Amino acid sequence: MTSTYSNTPLEPVFSHVSEAVLSAERAFYKLPGSAIIERYVRSSHQNDPGRTVLEIILFLLVVRTLLQSRTRADRNAKSFIEFSEKEIDELVDEWTPEPLARPLDEVEQHELDATHVVVGPSGPKPKLASTGKTALNLASQNFTNLAGNETIKEEAIKALRKYGVGSCGPAGFYGTVDVHLDLERDIAEFLGTEAAILYSQGFSTITSVIPAFCKRGDIIVADRAVSFPIQKGMQISRSTIRWFDHNDLKSLEDVLIQIEKDRKKRRGPLTRRFIVTEGIFEKDGSMVDLPKLVELKTKYKYRLILDESYSFGTVGRTGRGLTELYNVPAKKIEMLVGSVAIGLCAGGGFCAGTEFVVEHQRINGAGFVYSASMPPLLAVSGSKAIDILKNTPSLLEGLHDNVRAARAILDKVDGINIPSHPASPMIHIQLKSPGASSGGGLHPSAALVMPTKPSNPSSILPREASTWDWDVQNEELILQEVVEEALAQGVMITKSRRARGQELVEVRPSLRLSMTAGLTKKETEKAVGVVKAALQKVLSRRRV
Amino acid sequence: MPTGSSLPSPMALSRSSPSSSMFKKQQSTPQMSSAASYLSALSQADARARGSRSPTPTATPALSFSSSVTTSTEDTVLNEQEIDNDDGLALPMRAPTSEQVFSTIHTEYGHCSEEAYRYTSQHPQGTVLPEHVEQDPPYYILLSTYISYLLLIILGHCRDFFGKRLHPQYYKHLMPHDGYAPLNSDFDSFYTRRLKLRIDDCFSQPITGVAGRTIQLIDRYSTDFNYTQKFTGGHTRALNISSYNYLGFAQARGGCADVVEESLKRYGVTTCGSRLEGGSSDIHQVAEALVADFVGQEDALISSMGFATNSTVIPALVNRGCLVISDELNHASIRFGVRLSGASVRMFKHNDMNSLESLLREVISQGQPKTHRPWKKILLIVEGLYSMEGTLVNLPVIMQLKKKYKFNLFVDEAHSVGALGPNGRGVANYFGIDPRSIDILMGTFTKSFGAAGGYISGSKTLIDRLRVRGYSGAYAEAMTPPVLTQIIASMASIMGVKPPSTPRAIEDDTYRYPGPMPSSSLPQWVSLPPALTSGLEGRDRLRRLAFNSRYLHTGLVKLGFITYGHPASPIVPLLLFNPGKMNIFHRMMKDRKTPIIVVVVAYPATPLVTSRVRFCVSASHTKEDIDIVLKACDEIGDVLDLKNGIPRSERWPLEEVCARAVELANIDPSVEH
Repeated sequence: MTSTYSNTPLEPVFSHVSEAVLSAERAFYKLPGSAIIERYVRSSHQNDPGRTVLEIILFLLVVRTLLQSRTRADRNAKSFIEFSEKEIDELVDEWTPEPLARPLDEVEQHELDATHVVVGPSGPKPKLASTGKTALNLASQNFTNLAGNETIKEEAIKALRKYGVGSCGPAGFYGTVDVHLDLERDIAEFLGTEAAILYSQGFSTITSVIPAFCKRGDIIVADRAVSFPIQKGMQISRSTIRWFDHNDLKSLEDVLIQIEKDRKKRRGPLTRRFIVTEGIFEKDGSMVDLPKLVELKTKYKYRLILDESYSFGTVGRTGRGLTELYNVPAKKIEMLVGSVAIGLCAGGGFCAGTEFVVEHQRINGAGFVYSASMPPLLAVSGSKAIDILKNTPSLLEGLHDNVRAARAILDKVDGINIPSHPASPMIHIQLKSPGASSGGGLHPSAALVMPTKPSNPSSILPREASTWDWDVQNEELILQEVVEEALAQGVMITKSRRARGQELVEVRPSLRLSMTAGLTKKETEKAVGVVKAALQKVLSRRRV
Repeated sequence: MPTGSSLPSPMALSRSSPSSSMFKKQQSTPQMSSAASYLSALSQADARARGSRSPTPTATPALSFSSSVTTSTEDTVLNEQEIDNDDGLALPMRAPTSEQVFSTIHTEYGHCSEEAYRYTSQHPQGTVLPEHVEQDPPYYILLSTYISYLLLIILGHCRDFFGKRLHPQYYKHLMPHDGYAPLNSDFDSFYTRRLKLRIDDCFSQPITGVAGRTIQLIDRYSTDFNYTQKFTGGHTRALNISSYNYLGFAQARGGCADVVEESLKRYGVTTCGSRLEGGSSDIHQVAEALVADFVGQEDALISSMGFATNSTVIPALVNRGCLVISDELNHASIRFGVRLSGASVRMFKHNDMNSLESLLREVISQGQPKTHRPWKKILLIVEGLYSMEGTLVNLPVIMQLKKKYKFNLFVDEAHSVGALGPNGRGVANYFGIDPRSIDILMGTFTKSFGAAGGYISGSKTLIDRLRVRGYSGAYAEAMTPPVLTQIIASMASIMGVKPPSTPRAIEDDTYRYPGPMPSSSLPQWVSLPPALTSGLEGRDRLRRLAFNSRYLHTGLVKLGFITYGHPASPIVPLLLFNPGKMNIFHRMMKDRKTPIIVVVVAYPATPLVTSRVRFCVSASHTKEDIDIVLKACDEIGDVLDLKNGIPRSERWPLEEVCARAVELANIDPSVEH
């Protein structure tokens, strides 16, 4: 029998195969460490033959995953439908995308056209393109009137002649100019922190700072009315977010206690925890009670990210912001974010904190790493502005006098609600809902009349949201009328503009008056008087 | 780094011991015999220029060389008693002839009048853009690179292991303490602490003055292995082949800077506030109209930060139910914007049109995941010129695909606008494609225009929508007047300005892309010198940049280096591979007699193995500057074993490369590859 088989033509094939197997085996045993693998396979097979099969499958799976390209389509997903080439061509022909951008509707177009355009320099009394006349300016954020400052201009020109305009590179690659370091040091000294870091746009500062520290799994406890850039920063960070009622530190404490309870119950690991809020809120001008806030965050061991974009350079005796106003050392705030563009009338933003906090951002702050550094002449202007603020307390006094004068007039006007703090140089004016006695949805006083049951911390909507009865579009229209009426009387004011539909919660429309030290008390009173008259005129027309 | 080469340890090459450097004395560049002879040649040339009533096209009476240098700052050469030209950077190698009058400062914008050293950046019609080839190094280099990283990681973990036990105080910030979790976890920061820190002296070195052709470094050294850096108090002038200064507009002197000074006097530093809330001024409108004309679109929107242009506009374009198709190497700002938008994202292989087409077929036929509803919009986002690879987007093929698959196209021209195309209008101009056939052209002003910020351009409907819906209009501060003026002046000088039209030719006053702009588009107070308004200097800049890019690129290839990207690209990456070679290369370049500063990039900006040097060529470089860079690379390349591109027999010696520069620059890439 054997001899007959050995004569079949298959014989050389068999011998070839067995030889190949043998040589493969020899090669395998020559490999260093092969004995270990062999022993492992043998013993595992002995213990449980099924496991070998499983392991082989697992191994093949790993190989397959490794070979799979990152960009390859997930063709094996359940919902994948196999089409023939012809069908795909048909589907491609059929597909009609929506237009990339919807044209503006009439109202939007009108609002865009009605945007104030200044001819020539901006300042307390700029010339407007629409009227061709000068107007008293309560719209531009020129709080301490550094915008037209001659000394700053001179310094900027000197800087231009030494550094040119652009820095031509990100900070990591020869975009760090000595004047950037100077301004960083100036800001840190001004506030009394260890260090500071500059970003080249105020808006992008906090949007970069938050994700630089907060990662997935971390906890952020934030005010329900935080500004848009903060919302975006939190979105990028992918952290777990809990909300507390706007400017209500009692609610904050409840949320903090709740979180700690949950953590103990789940025996979760210690994660980074942050409180994110603003000094003066962009949305309504209310002001946070800093000493209480610092007490809470220390007690519950949270880190505080405080956005002082609208309070730095505008409150406190010399404009150092909330820390100066409340006499809280800035060192107690882990990440203090401010705007060089608003507070110092130059450009960009900063984050001040410890050396470690700042250095961490130099590697992890997206807006810092991936962007060109700010033009050196703006950094020089910022440094000069700090110098001026330090040495001229009268600037801030003038501003605060104007704020008081304005509030004295506005607080008496019927039909409106001013949620802003009396000391805030940014005054928001909201319309009062007809019939409703409570004020705006964002105001803490609203919380007082509500039942005491707390809002759900996982939702940005507060409990009383169901009672909000204002109509965004209608109020926007009324306020726009007020803006135009005031302009006709020679006062430039603005609504708070919003990216409607993109904020987490629709914000109640408001007028935003920005006081400035550039106007005298008389002029401020006159300007605010015009606003008052315009408000009354438009509101009475509406009622009729 | 401990591995990679048998050179002395990095510390031995440190800047704190300037005289001990072994590379200092290796070369000396030909230069003027003395400062005095150079000065006399200059003054003669200047006198002649003043004497003649009709200035030469490149000269401006108001800004002749001597007048500009005598009014210059302390950084420029002539205010010092002795001109220190030891490094060969302060003075040109050739004295100007009597006809030549240069209106720029040599350290900011190099003097080069040789017409042969010019090239027009344009895609040869009818040819196909060569595929992006990633040339592989020999296996031993790959292997040693992997071993290097392995060693670094093992060593790092060992140090962490012992460090935590022996010196716990250094690890305090990584440990939970006091009930606070650490800000930076041990694991997350490992790469930064144990790998990046070793080469930290390559990054973030502060500078002073203009980042033009040369740059003034503020000298620093570290005594504690880069934990901290100390300043020596001294400055070093170095040849700058690192800044994004493609057209050389980083200047503190000259026509553009003069206009910016005028605008600072008129407008001040800021317009206070966001565009929609009282921060708009007439100069914004002028600049936006000009940008739209420049790129050939209907309208444009300016944002005060380049990064934010992408991150605040993309969310206004797409949202849930839309799909973004993104090149895998797109910039972080694009990813940031897409993440904010909530749209789905799919990636395709870098610049691979086949991969793109098969992805398009799949996503359109499959529709949205699970529901299979058709996508509301599909937005393809690509970059014109990739900042780490130097590759050009294959726009001609994308335009064909766009016709067939009807997606919207967003081209990020952050690096390509100004730097590419016969008229400097970017990648569409380079390929001769109508810019209006592209939905959105985005770009930045940081790179080619010596300014800051970015723009978005497209149809009027689209831009108006973005003005209202984009984040920056409502929330971000408006761009500042000096920056806007720099943009206006530099763009005007690239486009050229038509003289005011006579009444009978009123129809001539409209703008036709890419012709010169009508003078009515400029504000009255902007007065540019004739060299700029004629567009001659702008054209010269474009052509110098194109020549320099091609010369450096092909020169490096001929010397035997591995480079990536297209020769037309002003970004020229030279591959190093070994992590240890990065800081050695950086230091050896900086410690030469003519110091050269370079940018080295590694993981995570690039794949792990392909660490590289990235040269950014500028129009401000002269041919001699490129020679210097090539010579430095040639010498260092031999020491560091970097010449793995082409076999020895095909390489050219340095002298030949320098001598046949014009020929090299004219090599057609589609034939070469």
